[in-house]
Amino acid sequence: MLKKLTICLALLAGAGACTKDFKEINVNPNAPSNVPVDYLLGQSQLLVTGSASGPASKAWRANFGYAACLIQQMSSIDATFYKGSFYTFLGEINSAFFDNSYTYAVKSMVNLIEVAKQDPKNVNVLSMARIIKVMEFSRTTDLYGDIPYFEAGKGFIDGNFSPKYDAQQAIYMDMLKELEEAGKAFDAARYIPKAADYIYGGDLDKWKRAANSLMLRLAMRMQKVDPANAELWAKKAIDGGLITGNAETIAVKFANTGAEINSNPNSWILGPSGSNITNIPNAGVQWAKTLIDMMKERQDPRLPVISMIKGGDNSIAKQRGLPNATDATGLSKLDEKNLDNYSRPATGVIGIALPWIYMSYAETQLLKAEAIERGWATGNAKAAFQEGQSAALAQMSWANATISGMDIAAYAAKNPYPEAGTLAAKMNAIHTEVYLLSASTFNHIEGYANWRRTGYPVLTPVNYLGNDTNGQIPRRLRYPLSEEGINPNFKTAIERQGPDVFMTRIWWDKQ
Amino acid sequence: MLTAAPPLDAQVLAFNAHKNRMLPPEQTTNQVKLLDVLLQLKKYYNADILFEESQMSGITVPDFVFDKNLSAEKNMEALLKSTSLTLKKVRKNAYMILPRRIETSAIGSRPSADLQVLTGRRAVAAEIKVSGTVTDANGEGLPGVNVLVKGTINGTNTDVNGKYELDVPSTESVLVFTSIGFQKQEITVGQRSVVDVKMAVETQTLDEVVVTALGIKKEKKALGYAISEVKGEDLTQARSTNIANSLVGKVAGLNISSTATGPSGSSRIVIRGNGSISGNNQPLIIVDGIPINNDNLGSVAIGANREGSWTGSDRGDGISSLNPDEIESISVLKGATAAALYGSRASNGAILVTTKGGKADKGIGVEVNSNFLAEDLLFKSYKDYQYEYGLGSNGIKPTTVAETATRNSWGGRLDGSNSMNYDGVERPYVAAKDNLRKFYNVGTTFTNSVALTGATEKVTYRLSMNDLNNKGVLPNNTLRRNNFALNTNGNLGKRISFVANAKYIIEKNHNRPRVNDSPGNANFAMYVLPTSLDVDVLKNAQFDANGNEKVWSDNQYTQNPYFATEQYQQDDNKKRVIASFEPKYTITDWLYLKGRIGFDNFNYRYKSIEPYGTGYVLRGSYTSSLREFTETNKELLVGVNRKIGEKFAFNGLFGGNMMKQVTNLNEVSANNSFNIPFFYDVSNIDPAARTVTEAYIEKRINSVYGSAEFSYNNYLFVTATARNDWFSTLAKGKNSIFYPSFGVSFVASEALKMPSAINYLKFRGSWAQAGGDTDPYNLSLYYSLSGAHLGSALAQINGTRVPNGDLQPLTSTVSELGLEAKLFNNLLNVDFAVYDRKTTDDIVSATISETSGYTSALFNVGAIRNRGIELLLGATILNGKKFTWDASFNMGYNASEVLSLYGDLQTLRVDQSRPGSAFIHQDVGKPYSQIKGYDFKRDANGKIVYNSQGLAMAGDIRTFGSGVSPYTLGLNNTFNYKGISLSVLVDGKFGGYIYSGTNALAYRFGLHEATLVGREGGVTGEGVTESGERNTAKAPAQAYYSNWYSAIATPFVYKSDFIKLRQIIIQYTIPSRYLGKLPFKGASVSIVGRNLAVLMKKVPVIDPEATYNNGNAQGVEFAGTPPTRSYGVNLNLKF
Repeated sequence: MLKKLTICLALLAGAGACTKDFKEINVNPNAPSNVPVDYLLGQSQLLVTGSASGPASKAWRANFGYAACLIQQMSSIDATFYKGSFYTFLGEINSAFFDNSYTYAVKSMVNLIEVAKQDPKNVNVLSMARIIKVMEFSRTTDLYGDIPYFEAGKGFIDGNFSPKYDAQQAIYMDMLKELEEAGKAFDAARYIPKAADYIYGGDLDKWKRAANSLMLRLAMRMQKVDPANAELWAKKAIDGGLITGNAETIAVKFANTGAEINSNPNSWILGPSGSNITNIPNAGVQWAKTLIDMMKERQDPRLPVISMIKGGDNSIAKQRGLPNATDATGLSKLDEKNLDNYSRPATGVIGIALPWIYMSYAETQLLKAEAIERGWATGNAKAAFQEGQSAALAQMSWANATISGMDIAAYAAKNPYPEAGTLAAKMNAIHTEVYLLSASTFNHIEGYANWRRTGYPVLTPVNYLGNDTNGQIPRRLRYPLSEEGINPNFKTAIERQGPDVFMTRIWWDKQ
Repeated sequence: MLTAAPPLDAQVLAFNAHKNRMLPPEQTTNQVKLLDVLLQLKKYYNADILFEESQMSGITVPDFVFDKNLSAEKNMEALLKSTSLTLKKVRKNAYMILPRRIETSAIGSRPSADLQVLTGRRAVAAEIKVSGTVTDANGEGLPGVNVLVKGTINGTNTDVNGKYELDVPSTESVLVFTSIGFQKQEITVGQRSVVDVKMAVETQTLDEVVVTALGIKKEKKALGYAISEVKGEDLTQARSTNIANSLVGKVAGLNISSTATGPSGSSRIVIRGNGSISGNNQPLIIVDGIPINNDNLGSVAIGANREGSWTGSDRGDGISSLNPDEIESISVLKGATAAALYGSRASNGAILVTTKGGKADKGIGVEVNSNFLAEDLLFKSYKDYQYEYGLGSNGIKPTTVAETATRNSWGGRLDGSNSMNYDGVERPYVAAKDNLRKFYNVGTTFTNSVALTGATEKVTYRLSMNDLNNKGVLPNNTLRRNNFALNTNGNLGKRISFVANAKYIIEKNHNRPRVNDSPGNANFAMYVLPTSLDVDVLKNAQFDANGNEKVWSDNQYTQNPYFATEQYQQDDNKKRVIASFEPKYTITDWLYLKGRIGFDNFNYRYKSIEPYGTGYVLRGSYTSSLREFTETNKELLVGVNRKIGEKFAFNGLFGGNMMKQVTNLNEVSANNSFNIPFFYDVSNIDPAARTVTEAYIEKRINSVYGSAEFSYNNYLFVTATARNDWFSTLAKGKNSIFYPSFGVSFVASEALKMPSAINYLKFRGSWAQAGGDTDPYNLSLYYSLSGAHLGSALAQINGTRVPNGDLQPLTSTVSELGLEAKLFNNLLNVDFAVYDRKTTDDIVSATISETSGYTSALFNVGAIRNRGIELLLGATILNGKKFTWDASFNMGYNASEVLSLYGDLQTLRVDQSRPGSAFIHQDVGKPYSQIKGYDFKRDANGKIVYNSQGLAMAGDIRTFGSGVSPYTLGLNNTFNYKGISLSVLVDGKFGGYIYSGTNALAYRFGLHEATLVGREGGVTGEGVTESGERNTAKAPAQAYYSNWYSAIATPFVYKSDFIKLRQIIIQYTIPSRYLGKLPFKGASVSIVGRNLAVLMKKVPVIDPEATYNNGNAQGVEFAGTPPTRSYGVNLNLKF
């Protein structure tokens, strides 16, 4: 009996202490610990657009809900969602871009850069990742101002759970440096990702020119606040070589598979699979009166391409923009009370396989025209302007629309470059084109930034009852409510930049 | 517990320890009172002795000498030698004292005159001869039943066939039938000469024996820690579909919150405060010795703009599947001491559910229970809503369809004139006050159960079947649950015995209520429906011309409630097996070996379809998943029970356990991608849009444990336990933890002389430690492969939480002091405890700045302390012959404090509210779960600052208080009158706060009556302008109130105090004499009501108990299922 007992006790003790396979047991069999860098690169590109993390955050809430409405390109009677049209605040819409960017795109890119750095053969992946990271951060900082940049996204890498808020100036300087270094580091002798590069399919020369083009955009953004550096970097960018045509427009390619992740996020929101055109009789988003009136007045041939009234009629005469700050009550006071008769994005521009445009060739030419006018670059400003203007129309081919050379010439004749005019007149001409370009490529976040810097076209603010800005167009979005009280570094941003309100101007947005 | 104490009778069956009375020492030198000696013997031997007090009165015995070297039996025989009484051994250490009868086995024998002379009393003239048969429930004769003529010592015992014969003095005579294990019966003889009796099984336990860890039954007096037991019948009379909710208000120190998700949702059970910031705070649930999975299979994430915050439903937990009718008792092991033997998983205490087993009756016993419950909304209208202004914005009555597209009730004054509706029809502009009544159903629950019990020579068994059929208050929400259980006990020969239990549970849920944000959530729509929009209009205009949803407002995420309940499809189907096999081998009379194998296995199939044509997802969405979970526990233990001499006893055990948990999950989901409209099959989704997920999750814990209990003279008990756990989920080298426990119990009333007012007094104290771990795969970073794009595969970092490779076990240390007393002839019971619980190295998933790339991080942090007191008072207030009144009061107070966090971190965010302006934090130096939120912007004097438009500005984050109520109270009163009992339970919680997202919505949309101020002409807020002047700007009411929604939390934080009339039970047990020839052994009917009224609350609109989910961010709510009350009838028949 005693023997039996001893055996039992020995068994028990053995059973308890037996942990030799515990380490293997605690390995997740359904998720790898390592993946090819291509997987991470492709994902990071999609995350810039937002398609891989739910298009509702960046495309819907930030691009349409705020940016497009703030600069009167779009409008909606839905006062509870399209806050930009009313200058009002709703936390979850206001902070959607910020929330989404850090937890998806930034996390992925920071990790990709960390992984790619480990092996010199991945230098091209690394360079693409560095450029993509600039593409991501420049939009975030332009929307919010001072943001965590240098320490961001490193929660796992170095255990930093409360990244510092960096001054926008420092962020800009680093982004420019990154573009320069990354562009120069491309090496055709090393591994080149092709299928996973949804922007250029591994064409390194195009990437170099893209880096310079992005550099020009950032340089011009500093025009008011730091003209010396703006000039320095604009020159560097132009001298380095910009993208050469509409075929090189910086855009992420999409496909129609039925899946959200493969779909252009702007289209997903506005388009056939999205919610805007659905059965909501009184909601969704429409083109704004400011935009439609401007396009009509300028006889812009893009109007029938991008716009239609409900049912598909895209005839110019039928197009009617919805005034901003119009809610349901406001609509009932307008002459046209039926929302169906207001213009909205046309079916042709919201196909879900259409490319998602980040920066058009046309924009590089228009910015170049400005740089020449400011004496920061050599060349003919008018030629650059005209090149940009015509490219902006011709590029509607991105949406499978053909604008004939005749129409382009007519538009150019109707809206000529004021060669003899003042600088202000020239800037108005250039940036009105940038404005229309951003509207017709759903690039509203960029449009909002460019408008804030240049003030063109001149917009008349609305004054909705109960708005948060006393009837002025907000100069930035507010930080997420979740940051205060959790990130002790948050307060340094407020101290440096000013109160966390819509009307606080960010660093480059000098009056 | 709140069970009614049985009415005390003069002829008390004095066998319970708590009925033991200390009598003053007898002064007589050579004559002692028989009763006194018996009581002293009983105490000395800790024996159960059954006798009729009336038989003892006045009897004295001469020259009795107690010989402590003899057994109880021998001493008692010596004592009774000179009397007319005799001793009968019932079982080990249990005796019955009976009148001596003639030594004959012949049927029909009758007491002789000699015997009557021997009684020392004058013999009563025997005038009537009565005979009969005493049977059990199955009609089998019961031998050894004591039959007495009431008020005399004239009596007899039944023979082996249950027959008896007796002479009684008159037709007025009352026969008293008693037998251990059966209910006493009294029957008036009347004109009969044959009195047959059927004995009903006694449900009261003989001793205060409670089920403790590892299923070991112990006398309560030996325990060094607090334990509370709830009897099965307390759960079944006024039942709740989830038995956890039936425990509300019944156990001191137990804090239960049920999520606002209707009858089949989960609950949050917290014993003695929350010890962990973000880890599990719920006790281990053990059914018949088997730990079961109590995870919530789909709760709702909270917080603004967070993944999973938009939609979801609470899909119940483990305890919610159990059948209340099967439950014999529930033991609540409070805290680590009681649960030390269960190790880490019970660091928050354990709830031991013991199901009913077979009875050693011969033949088959049948028990039938039927229950009907009707469920109705507790608040049939929103009392705090305004009905003066209707749908619309800016004070304008809608006249066009476009203007109706709003959730606002900021429209014009409801004047009865025609106004436009979203369906294009004009209707009078009037208040729609009946929307809740019209939309919600009266829910019904039918529960029927049948149980068969029986025994063969070697095996006793109980087979039960249960059918629960529930129709929720929310239209189309149904629950069907079938529970089957077979419990068997057997003795195979002298040494081998076994217990084998198996349960099979089938649970089918259809359209559980959605919670949290609005998509598909009918309750949300009902909360925000404008005051003039009649729900009938919505009923008749669900669809547009294409059969798609006709969205009624400008917000496509707020569904038409009829569309949400009729077109959405959500089904879950859980099949669960809980089985255990427990062989025991008795090596010698003091040594045994016991094994236990337990399985908890379930298959959970879930399917959710958001219909084609839904406003926000035109092409519909689809999720179908199958989850299989298995937990296996293999346990082996050696036990010792040894008496050392007369006074010392030792109980010890040593054992080991291997726990393995495996979850297998397969899921297919797709968003916005059905091709053929209204056809819902996975084949109808574009292949690229299908997301397929596979998961295998395994976790193991190996343990060894031991326990040793010494007792001295039956009044001093010392227990020590130790356990070591090894966790597979923690880092190698840090994955082992050892924890000891000690407990002392001292029964002062047995050891010392006590004043006569004290019948029982026990002091106890204990100290224990327990560890804890985390979920699998939290130590390193993984990627998730997220499909492909243009021919290239995609991957990103898995999850939003920073993993931690250095995790080590947390430690929870509990010490406790308590006393139990029974006073004034047991009329007053007191159970009091103070405890101190400290958790260190807590494994915390803390919210971190999302700019780190992650929203949370996992790490070992700081310390949390919970200190509290628990008090249970039970009193018999009135104890008349016909009328009794018993009262029971329990109270718990738990003061929690976060002592330290990670490094010098002073605050840590756990979660945030849906509108985004309120948060749940853990702050150093503050109680658990602090509600924080944005306050109004204020000047130096605290005055609210308004902008130039007269709108309040948002200021700094402010702390409001704890979201967990420190005080929990319950008061139960039970009245008995002639077999009818009325029991009323009132309970409450005090001292906590709640951030009400529902109220924030009510302000945003102009529903709250407080928003009436300034509707015409605007509101001038009391405060100052930005430059410090007095604010004179008039803001339109709509902007003034609705701007607070996501910006300012202050107006929506309330005290969560409440008092509720939790339940009323009226029960009538039909006396067996009325059952006559009916085939029942027993029958009772009860009428019950639960959650009948909120007697006091401080938060408008909502139920103060509402919570989002059963997670750790307690203190925030948002548009949950409206609270309900239920009424019902329960019928219990025993055959």
